[in-house]
Amino acid sequence: MNKITKFIYVLLGCCLLIKPAMAAQDDDEDSALESYNRAVFTFNSVADYFVIKPIAKGYRAITTEFIRERVHDFFENLKEPASMINHSLQGNFSESGNSLGRFAVNTTLGLLGTFDVASGWGLEKNKTGFDKTLASWCVPDGPFFMLPFLGPSTPRATAGWVADTASDPLYWANYYTHFGDDWQRYTFYYGITALGFISLREENIELLDNLTANSVDPYATIKAAYIQNRLKINACAPEGQQNDNSYDFDFDEKYDE
Amino acid sequence: MKKLLTLLFFAFLMISSNARADIDASKAENFIKNVTSQGIEELINSDVSEAEKKARFTKLFNEDLDLDFIGKFVLGRYWRTATPKQRKEFIDVYRKLNIQAWSERFNEFKGRHFEFLGTEKAKSKDNDQVYVNTQVPMPEGAPASVKWRVKETNGKMRIVDIIIENVSLAITAQKEYTSYIQKSPNGIDGLISDLKAKIK
Repeated sequence: MNKITKFIYVLLGCCLLIKPAMAAQDDDEDSALESYNRAVFTFNSVADYFVIKPIAKGYRAITTEFIRERVHDFFENLKEPASMINHSLQGNFSESGNSLGRFAVNTTLGLLGTFDVASGWGLEKNKTGFDKTLASWCVPDGPFFMLPFLGPSTPRATAGWVADTASDPLYWANYYTHFGDDWQRYTFYYGITALGFISLREENIELLDNLTANSVDPYATIKAAYIQNRLKINACAPEGQQNDNSYDFDFDEKYDE
Repeated sequence: MKKLLTLLFFAFLMISSNARADIDASKAENFIKNVTSQGIEELINSDVSEAEKKARFTKLFNEDLDLDFIGKFVLGRYWRTATPKQRKEFIDVYRKLNIQAWSERFNEFKGRHFEFLGTEKAKSKDNDQVYVNTQVPMPEGAPASVKWRVKETNGKMRIVDIIIENVSLAITAQKEYTSYIQKSPNGIDGLISDLKAKIK
Protein backbone atom coordinates (compact mmCIF):
# COMPACT_ATOMS: atom_id res chain seq x y z
CA MET A 1 0.00 0.00 0.00
CA ASN A 2 2.80 2.32 0.92
CA LYS A 3 4.38 1.82 -2.46
CA ILE A 4 1.13 2.57 -4.24
CA THR A 5 0.54 5.76 -2.29
CA LYS A 6 4.06 6.91 -3.08
CA PHE A 7 3.58 6.16 -6.74
CA ILE A 8 0.39 8.18 -6.81
CA TYR A 9 2.13 11.15 -5.19
CA VAL A 10 4.88 10.99 -7.77
CA LEU A 11 2.37 10.87 -10.62
CA LEU A 12 0.32 13.69 -9.16
CA GLY A 13 3.52 15.67 -8.84
CA CYS A 14 4.07 15.08 -12.54
CA CYS A 15 0.56 16.30 -13.34
CA LEU A 16 0.98 19.48 -11.35
CA LEU A 17 4.44 20.30 -12.61
CA ILE A 18 3.39 20.15 -16.20
CA LYS A 19 2.58 23.55 -17.54
CA PRO A 20 -0.99 23.95 -18.73
CA ALA A 21 0.51 24.68 -22.16
CA MET A 22 1.70 21.11 -22.22
CA ALA A 23 -1.77 19.76 -21.62
CA ALA A 24 -2.79 16.65 -23.49
CA GLN A 25 -4.79 18.55 -26.07
CA ASP A 26 -1.69 20.34 -27.23
CA ASP A 27 -1.00 19.65 -30.83
CA ASP A 28 2.75 19.80 -30.92
CA GLU A 29 3.82 16.64 -29.26
CA ASP A 30 7.28 16.79 -27.78
CA SER A 31 9.35 14.91 -30.33
CA ALA A 32 11.28 12.91 -27.74
CA LEU A 33 8.02 11.91 -26.09
CA GLU A 34 6.53 11.05 -29.45
CA SER A 35 9.37 8.73 -30.41
CA TYR A 36 9.06 7.04 -27.00
CA ASN A 37 5.28 6.75 -27.45
CA ARG A 38 5.60 5.34 -30.93
CA ALA A 39 8.17 2.79 -29.73
CA VAL A 40 5.87 1.63 -26.94
CA PHE A 41 2.97 1.56 -29.37
CA THR A 42 4.94 -0.69 -31.72
CA PHE A 43 5.91 -2.91 -28.80
CA ASN A 44 2.26 -3.14 -27.71
CA SER A 45 1.12 -3.91 -31.26
CA VAL A 46 3.62 -6.73 -31.58
CA ALA A 47 2.74 -8.15 -28.15
CA ASP A 48 -0.91 -7.86 -29.06
CA TYR A 49 -0.52 -9.50 -32.45
CA PHE A 50 1.49 -12.47 -31.22
CA VAL A 51 0.19 -13.01 -27.69
CA ILE A 52 -2.72 -10.99 -26.38
CA LYS A 53 -5.08 -11.04 -29.34
CA PRO A 54 -4.59 -14.79 -29.98
CA ILE A 55 -5.41 -15.46 -26.31
CA ALA A 56 -8.47 -13.19 -26.54
CA LYS A 57 -9.61 -15.10 -29.62
CA GLY A 58 -9.00 -18.39 -27.86
CA TYR A 59 -11.03 -17.13 -24.93
CA ARG A 60 -13.84 -16.25 -27.32
CA ALA A 61 -13.62 -19.68 -28.94
CA ILE A 62 -13.94 -21.64 -25.69
CA THR A 63 -16.65 -19.54 -24.04
CA THR A 64 -20.23 -18.68 -24.87
CA GLU A 65 -21.53 -15.16 -24.88
CA PHE A 66 -23.39 -15.93 -21.65
CA ILE A 67 -20.19 -16.87 -19.87
CA ARG A 68 -18.34 -13.83 -21.22
CA GLU A 69 -21.10 -11.58 -19.92
CA ARG A 70 -20.77 -13.18 -16.46
CA VAL A 71 -17.02 -12.58 -16.53
CA HIS A 72 -17.60 -9.00 -17.67
CA ASP A 73 -20.11 -8.37 -14.90
CA PHE A 74 -17.77 -9.90 -12.31
CA PHE A 75 -15.00 -7.45 -13.18
CA GLU A 76 -17.38 -4.52 -13.42
CA ASN A 77 -18.62 -5.30 -9.91
CA LEU A 78 -15.07 -5.12 -8.57
CA LYS A 79 -14.98 -1.47 -9.68
CA GLU A 80 -17.97 -0.48 -7.54
CA PRO A 81 -15.90 0.25 -4.40
CA ALA A 82 -13.78 2.66 -6.45
CA SER A 83 -16.97 4.32 -7.73
CA MET A 84 -18.35 4.51 -4.21
CA ILE A 85 -15.23 6.20 -2.81
CA ASN A 86 -14.84 8.57 -5.73
CA HIS A 87 -18.48 9.65 -5.91
CA SER A 88 -18.00 10.66 -2.26
CA LEU A 89 -14.79 12.52 -3.03
CA GLN A 90 -16.68 14.36 -5.77
CA GLY A 91 -19.46 15.19 -3.34
CA ASN A 92 -22.10 12.99 -4.98
CA PHE A 93 -23.22 11.16 -1.86
CA SER A 94 -26.40 9.70 -3.31
CA GLU A 95 -24.41 8.21 -6.19
CA SER A 96 -21.92 6.90 -3.67
CA GLY A 97 -24.77 5.17 -1.83
CA ASN A 98 -25.97 3.82 -5.17
CA SER A 99 -22.56 2.22 -5.81
CA LEU A 100 -22.48 0.79 -2.29
CA GLY A 101 -25.96 -0.68 -2.79
CA ARG A 102 -24.98 -2.13 -6.13
CA PHE A 103 -21.84 -3.70 -4.68
CA ALA A 104 -23.73 -5.21 -1.73
CA VAL A 105 -26.58 -6.59 -3.85
CA ASN A 106 -24.48 -7.86 -6.73
CA THR A 107 -21.77 -9.43 -4.58
CA THR A 108 -24.35 -11.45 -2.63
CA LEU A 109 -27.52 -12.04 -4.67
CA GLY A 110 -25.63 -11.46 -7.91
CA LEU A 111 -23.29 -14.33 -7.06
CA LEU A 112 -19.99 -12.47 -6.58
CA GLY A 113 -21.04 -9.90 -9.11
CA THR A 114 -21.44 -12.28 -12.02
CA PHE A 115 -25.03 -11.08 -12.41
CA ASP A 116 -26.04 -7.44 -12.33
CA VAL A 117 -29.20 -7.88 -10.26
CA ALA A 118 -29.04 -4.34 -8.90
CA SER A 119 -29.80 -2.70 -12.26
CA GLY A 120 -33.11 -4.50 -12.27
CA TRP A 121 -33.87 -2.92 -8.90
CA GLY A 122 -33.31 0.58 -10.19
CA LEU A 123 -29.75 0.85 -8.92
CA GLU A 124 -28.27 1.83 -12.28
CA LYS A 125 -24.60 1.55 -12.93
CA ASN A 126 -22.78 4.85 -12.71
CA LYS A 127 -19.05 4.31 -12.79
CA THR A 128 -16.49 6.84 -11.70
CA GLY A 129 -12.90 6.71 -10.56
CA PHE A 130 -10.02 8.64 -9.07
CA ASP A 131 -9.15 10.12 -12.46
CA LYS A 132 -12.53 11.88 -12.56
CA THR A 133 -12.07 12.98 -8.96
CA LEU A 134 -8.74 14.54 -9.87
CA ALA A 135 -10.39 16.20 -12.87
CA SER A 136 -13.04 17.64 -10.57
CA TRP A 137 -10.23 19.06 -8.43
CA CYS A 138 -8.82 20.72 -11.56
CA VAL A 139 -5.68 18.58 -11.71
CA PRO A 140 -4.42 18.93 -15.31
CA ASP A 141 -4.28 15.86 -17.46
CA GLY A 142 -0.64 16.12 -18.51
CA PRO A 143 0.80 14.95 -21.82
CA PHE A 144 -0.38 11.94 -23.74
CA PHE A 145 1.77 8.86 -23.28
CA MET A 146 1.68 5.18 -24.10
CA LEU A 147 1.92 2.63 -21.31
CA PRO A 148 3.43 -0.75 -22.08
CA PHE A 149 0.57 -3.30 -22.49
CA LEU A 150 -2.06 -0.89 -21.17
CA GLY A 151 -2.04 1.52 -24.09
CA PRO A 152 -2.93 5.21 -24.32
CA SER A 153 -2.78 7.20 -21.08
CA THR A 154 -1.84 10.45 -19.39
CA PRO A 155 -0.22 11.02 -15.98
CA ARG A 156 -3.61 11.81 -14.44
CA ALA A 157 -5.26 8.77 -16.01
CA THR A 158 -2.42 6.59 -14.73
CA ALA A 159 -2.65 8.06 -11.23
CA GLY A 160 -6.39 7.36 -11.34
CA TRP A 161 -5.84 3.83 -12.50
CA VAL A 162 -3.30 3.06 -9.76
CA ALA A 163 -5.52 4.55 -7.05
CA ASP A 164 -8.53 2.59 -8.31
CA THR A 165 -6.46 -0.58 -8.23
CA ALA A 166 -5.89 0.05 -4.53
CA SER A 167 -9.65 0.07 -3.95
CA ASP A 168 -10.15 -3.11 -5.94
CA PRO A 169 -11.38 -5.89 -3.62
CA LEU A 170 -9.08 -8.34 -5.40
CA TYR A 171 -6.06 -6.31 -4.28
CA TRP A 172 -7.16 -6.52 -0.66
CA ALA A 173 -8.14 -10.17 -0.92
CA ASN A 174 -4.66 -10.94 -2.16
CA TYR A 175 -3.24 -8.98 0.76
CA TYR A 176 -5.29 -10.52 3.52
CA THR A 177 -6.05 -14.08 2.51
CA HIS A 178 -3.57 -16.75 3.40
CA PHE A 179 -4.59 -19.92 1.65
CA GLY A 180 -2.03 -22.26 0.14
CA ASP A 181 1.56 -21.38 -0.56
CA ASP A 182 2.47 -17.89 -1.63
CA TRP A 183 2.97 -18.90 -5.24
CA GLN A 184 -0.41 -20.62 -5.34
CA ARG A 185 -2.13 -17.54 -4.02
CA TYR A 186 -0.27 -15.27 -6.41
CA THR A 187 -1.08 -17.51 -9.36
CA PHE A 188 -4.71 -17.41 -8.34
CA TYR A 189 -4.99 -13.63 -8.02
CA TYR A 190 -2.79 -12.75 -10.98
CA GLY A 191 -4.72 -15.32 -12.99
CA ILE A 192 -7.94 -13.50 -12.21
CA THR A 193 -6.38 -10.16 -13.09
CA ALA A 194 -5.14 -11.58 -16.40
CA LEU A 195 -8.63 -12.89 -17.14
CA GLY A 196 -9.99 -9.38 -16.66
CA PHE A 197 -7.43 -8.07 -19.13
CA ILE A 198 -8.23 -10.73 -21.72
CA SER A 199 -11.95 -10.21 -21.26
CA LEU A 200 -11.50 -6.51 -22.01
CA ARG A 201 -9.38 -7.28 -25.06
CA GLU A 202 -11.99 -9.75 -26.34
CA GLU A 203 -14.68 -7.08 -26.15
CA ASN A 204 -12.61 -4.84 -28.40
CA ILE A 205 -11.46 -7.30 -31.07
CA GLU A 206 -13.67 -5.87 -33.84
CA LEU A 207 -13.13 -2.25 -32.91
CA LEU A 208 -9.34 -2.49 -32.99
CA ASP A 209 -9.34 -4.66 -36.11
CA ASN A 210 -11.47 -2.12 -37.89
CA LEU A 211 -9.24 0.69 -36.74
CA THR A 212 -5.96 -0.87 -37.78
CA ALA A 213 -7.38 -2.10 -41.08
CA ASN A 214 -8.54 1.36 -42.11
CA SER A 215 -5.90 3.66 -40.70
CA VAL A 216 -2.59 4.57 -42.35
CA ASP A 217 -1.20 5.70 -38.98
CA PRO A 218 -2.99 3.83 -36.16
CA TYR A 219 -0.85 5.57 -33.54
CA ALA A 220 -1.98 9.01 -34.72
CA THR A 221 -5.60 7.86 -34.94
CA ILE A 222 -5.65 6.37 -31.44
CA LYS A 223 -3.87 9.35 -29.97
CA ALA A 224 -6.25 11.85 -31.59
CA ALA A 225 -9.34 9.92 -30.50
CA TYR A 226 -8.03 9.38 -26.97
CA ILE A 227 -7.17 13.03 -26.41
CA GLN A 228 -10.55 14.25 -27.67
CA ASN A 229 -12.36 11.75 -25.50
CA ARG A 230 -10.32 12.86 -22.47
CA LEU A 231 -11.44 16.45 -22.97
CA LYS A 232 -14.89 15.28 -21.94
CA ILE A 233 -13.70 14.88 -18.37
CA ASN A 234 -11.73 18.10 -18.17
CA ALA A 235 -14.13 19.70 -15.77
CA CYS A 236 -11.99 22.77 -15.20
CA ALA A 237 -10.90 23.55 -18.75
CA PRO A 238 -11.34 27.22 -19.52
CA GLU A 239 -14.66 28.13 -21.05
CA GLY A 240 -14.82 27.26 -24.72
CA GLN A 241 -11.90 24.88 -24.56
CA GLN A 242 -13.87 21.95 -23.35
CA ASN A 243 -15.59 20.66 -26.36
CA ASP A 244 -15.73 21.56 -29.88
CA ASN A 245 -13.07 24.08 -30.16
CA SER A 246 -10.25 21.62 -30.46
CA TYR A 247 -11.05 22.39 -34.05
CA ASP A 248 -12.00 25.28 -36.12
CA PHE A 249 -14.31 24.14 -38.81
CA ASP A 250 -14.24 27.48 -40.40
CA PHE A 251 -11.34 26.44 -42.49
CA ASP A 252 -12.43 28.10 -45.70
CA GLU A 253 -10.16 30.98 -44.89
CA LYS A 254 -7.41 28.86 -43.45
CA TYR A 255 -6.96 26.29 -46.14
CA ASP A 256 -8.36 27.78 -49.31
CA GLU A 257 -6.17 29.55 -51.77
CA MET B 1 -37.91 50.73 -66.90
CA LYS B 2 -38.07 52.00 -63.36
CA LYS B 3 -40.40 49.19 -62.45
CA LEU B 4 -38.10 46.66 -63.98
CA LEU B 5 -35.18 48.06 -62.02
CA THR B 6 -37.13 47.93 -58.76
CA LEU B 7 -38.12 44.39 -59.54
CA LEU B 8 -34.54 43.46 -60.28
CA PHE B 9 -33.44 45.20 -57.10
CA PHE B 10 -35.89 43.21 -55.01
CA ALA B 11 -35.05 40.04 -56.82
CA PHE B 12 -31.40 40.69 -56.02
CA LEU B 13 -32.22 41.40 -52.40
CA MET B 14 -34.14 38.20 -52.12
CA ILE B 15 -31.43 36.14 -53.70
CA SER B 16 -28.70 37.62 -51.58
CA SER B 17 -30.71 37.36 -48.39
CA ASN B 18 -31.53 33.82 -49.30
CA ALA B 19 -27.91 32.95 -49.83
CA ARG B 20 -27.00 34.55 -46.54
CA ALA B 21 -29.82 32.96 -44.55
CA ASP B 22 -28.63 31.16 -41.45
CA ILE B 23 -29.11 27.44 -41.38
CA ASP B 24 -32.50 26.47 -40.00
CA ALA B 25 -31.80 24.36 -36.90
CA SER B 26 -35.13 22.55 -36.83
CA LYS B 27 -34.76 21.68 -40.51
CA ALA B 28 -31.31 20.29 -39.75
CA GLU B 29 -32.71 18.22 -36.91
CA ASN B 30 -35.40 16.81 -39.19
CA PHE B 31 -32.74 16.02 -41.74
CA ILE B 32 -30.78 13.96 -39.18
CA LYS B 33 -34.00 12.30 -38.03
CA ASN B 34 -34.59 11.22 -41.61
CA VAL B 35 -31.03 10.02 -42.14
CA THR B 36 -30.94 7.99 -38.92
CA SER B 37 -34.35 6.42 -39.35
CA GLN B 38 -33.52 5.59 -42.96
CA GLY B 39 -30.24 4.08 -41.83
CA ILE B 40 -31.85 2.02 -39.12
CA GLU B 41 -34.79 0.81 -41.19
CA GLU B 42 -33.05 0.17 -44.49
CA LEU B 43 -29.66 -0.98 -43.25
CA ILE B 44 -29.57 -2.20 -39.70
CA ASN B 45 -32.97 -3.76 -39.29
CA SER B 46 -33.76 -4.92 -42.81
CA ASP B 47 -33.33 -8.48 -43.96
CA VAL B 48 -31.37 -7.95 -47.16
CA SER B 49 -28.02 -9.33 -48.23
CA GLU B 50 -24.79 -7.69 -47.05
CA ALA B 51 -24.07 -6.59 -50.63
CA GLU B 52 -27.46 -4.85 -50.87
CA LYS B 53 -26.85 -3.22 -47.50
CA LYS B 54 -23.53 -1.90 -48.69
CA ALA B 55 -25.14 -0.55 -51.87
CA ARG B 56 -27.82 1.22 -49.85
CA PHE B 57 -25.26 2.59 -47.44
CA THR B 58 -23.11 3.88 -50.30
CA LYS B 59 -26.09 5.77 -51.66
CA LEU B 60 -26.99 7.23 -48.27
CA PHE B 61 -23.38 8.15 -47.62
CA ASN B 62 -22.89 9.87 -50.97
CA GLU B 63 -26.12 11.81 -50.74
CA ASP B 64 -26.00 12.92 -47.15
CA LEU B 65 -22.32 13.48 -46.40
CA ASP B 66 -20.50 16.46 -47.83
CA LEU B 67 -17.36 14.56 -48.70
CA ASP B 68 -15.82 17.40 -50.70
CA PHE B 69 -16.00 19.60 -47.65
CA ILE B 70 -14.83 16.91 -45.23
CA GLY B 71 -11.99 15.82 -47.50
CA LYS B 72 -10.74 19.37 -47.68
CA PHE B 73 -10.77 19.69 -43.89
CA VAL B 74 -9.15 16.32 -43.39
CA LEU B 75 -6.14 17.16 -45.57
CA GLY B 76 -5.69 20.26 -43.45
CA ARG B 77 -2.88 22.54 -44.52
CA TYR B 78 -1.86 20.09 -47.24
CA TRP B 79 -5.05 20.79 -49.18
CA ARG B 80 -3.59 24.08 -50.30
CA THR B 81 -0.50 22.52 -51.84
CA ALA B 82 -2.33 19.56 -53.38
CA THR B 83 -2.85 19.58 -57.14
CA PRO B 84 -6.43 19.30 -58.47
CA LYS B 85 -5.67 15.72 -59.48
CA GLN B 86 -4.40 14.84 -56.00
CA ARG B 87 -7.45 16.46 -54.43
CA LYS B 88 -9.83 14.50 -56.59
CA GLU B 89 -7.99 11.23 -56.03
CA PHE B 90 -7.82 11.81 -52.29
CA ILE B 91 -11.53 12.55 -51.93
CA ASP B 92 -12.33 9.54 -54.07
CA VAL B 93 -10.24 7.11 -52.01
CA TYR B 94 -11.32 8.70 -48.72
CA ARG B 95 -14.93 8.13 -49.73
CA LYS B 96 -14.30 4.47 -50.56
CA LEU B 97 -12.37 3.84 -47.36
CA ASN B 98 -15.10 5.37 -45.21
CA ILE B 99 -17.79 3.33 -46.89
CA GLN B 100 -15.72 0.20 -46.33
CA ALA B 101 -14.95 1.02 -42.69
CA TRP B 102 -18.57 1.77 -41.81
CA SER B 103 -20.03 -1.14 -43.72
CA GLU B 104 -18.13 -3.53 -41.47
CA ARG B 105 -19.83 -2.16 -38.42
CA PHE B 106 -23.58 -2.12 -39.11
CA ASN B 107 -24.23 -5.04 -36.83
CA GLU B 108 -22.93 -3.24 -33.77
CA PHE B 109 -25.87 -0.93 -34.12
CA LYS B 110 -28.57 -3.58 -34.06
CA GLY B 111 -31.34 -2.84 -31.58
CA ARG B 112 -30.11 0.69 -30.88
CA HIS B 113 -31.92 3.95 -31.51
CA PHE B 114 -31.23 7.68 -31.40
CA GLU B 115 -32.76 10.13 -28.96
CA PHE B 116 -32.83 13.74 -30.11
CA LEU B 117 -31.67 16.39 -27.66
CA GLY B 118 -32.05 19.57 -29.68
CA THR B 119 -29.55 21.65 -31.58
CA GLU B 120 -26.61 23.89 -30.86
CA LYS B 121 -24.97 26.61 -32.89
CA ALA B 122 -21.77 25.58 -34.63
CA LYS B 123 -19.16 28.20 -35.32
CA SER B 124 -19.06 28.86 -39.04
CA LYS B 125 -18.25 31.80 -41.23
CA ASP B 126 -21.61 31.99 -43.00
CA ASN B 127 -23.69 30.66 -40.11
CA ASP B 128 -24.47 27.74 -42.36
CA GLN B 129 -23.64 25.01 -39.84
CA VAL B 130 -25.37 23.62 -36.79
CA TYR B 131 -24.96 20.71 -34.38
CA VAL B 132 -27.79 18.26 -33.96
CA ASN B 133 -27.34 16.59 -30.57
CA THR B 134 -28.40 12.99 -30.13
CA GLN B 135 -27.66 10.14 -27.79
CA VAL B 136 -27.80 6.38 -28.09
CA PRO B 137 -28.91 4.46 -24.98
CA MET B 138 -26.42 1.69 -24.24
CA PRO B 139 -27.06 -1.71 -22.63
CA GLU B 140 -25.12 -0.57 -19.57
CA GLY B 141 -23.97 2.74 -18.20
CA ALA B 142 -24.59 6.18 -19.59
CA PRO B 143 -25.90 6.70 -23.13
CA ALA B 144 -23.33 7.43 -25.84
CA SER B 145 -23.43 10.97 -27.14
CA VAL B 146 -23.49 11.49 -30.90
CA LYS B 147 -23.36 15.00 -32.33
CA TRP B 148 -23.99 15.64 -36.01
CA ARG B 149 -22.51 18.69 -37.64
CA VAL B 150 -24.80 19.74 -40.46
CA LYS B 151 -23.98 22.25 -43.18
CA GLU B 152 -26.38 23.76 -45.66
CA THR B 153 -25.03 24.42 -49.13
CA ASN B 154 -27.35 25.84 -51.79
CA GLY B 155 -30.40 24.71 -49.89
CA LYS B 156 -29.15 21.16 -49.44
CA MET B 157 -28.38 19.82 -45.96
CA ARG B 158 -25.38 17.57 -45.58
CA ILE B 159 -23.42 16.06 -42.70
CA VAL B 160 -19.89 17.44 -42.36
CA ASP B 161 -18.83 15.73 -39.13
CA ILE B 162 -20.00 13.16 -36.61
CA ILE B 163 -18.75 13.51 -33.04
CA ILE B 164 -19.09 10.35 -30.99
CA GLU B 165 -18.34 10.64 -27.27
CA ASN B 166 -16.51 13.88 -27.95
CA VAL B 167 -14.39 12.26 -30.69
CA SER B 168 -14.77 14.06 -33.99
CA LEU B 169 -14.32 11.81 -36.99
CA ALA B 170 -13.08 14.74 -39.07
CA ILE B 171 -10.45 15.85 -36.55
CA THR B 172 -9.29 12.30 -35.95
CA ALA B 173 -8.87 11.72 -39.67
CA GLN B 174 -7.12 15.06 -40.06
CA LYS B 175 -4.59 14.16 -37.35
CA GLU B 176 -4.02 10.77 -38.93
CA TYR B 177 -3.47 12.10 -42.45
CA THR B 178 -1.42 15.17 -41.62
CA SER B 179 0.78 13.10 -39.31
CA TYR B 180 1.22 10.57 -42.11
CA ILE B 181 2.11 13.16 -44.74
CA GLN B 182 4.61 14.79 -42.39
CA LYS B 183 6.48 11.53 -42.05
CA SER B 184 6.03 10.16 -45.54
CA PRO B 185 8.80 10.83 -48.06
CA ASN B 186 6.21 10.80 -50.86
CA GLY B 187 3.84 13.30 -49.28
CA ILE B 188 0.26 13.35 -50.48
CA ASP B 189 0.92 10.86 -53.28
CA GLY B 190 2.26 8.40 -50.71
CA LEU B 191 -0.87 8.90 -48.63
CA ILE B 192 -3.15 8.34 -51.61
CA SER B 193 -1.41 5.15 -52.67
CA ASP B 194 -1.37 3.80 -49.10
CA LEU B 195 -5.05 4.57 -48.72
CA LYS B 196 -5.76 2.82 -52.01
CA ALA B 197 -3.95 -0.25 -50.69
CA LYS B 198 -6.38 -0.32 -47.75
CA ILE B 199 -9.38 -0.75 -50.04
CA LYS B 200 -10.33 -4.38 -50.32
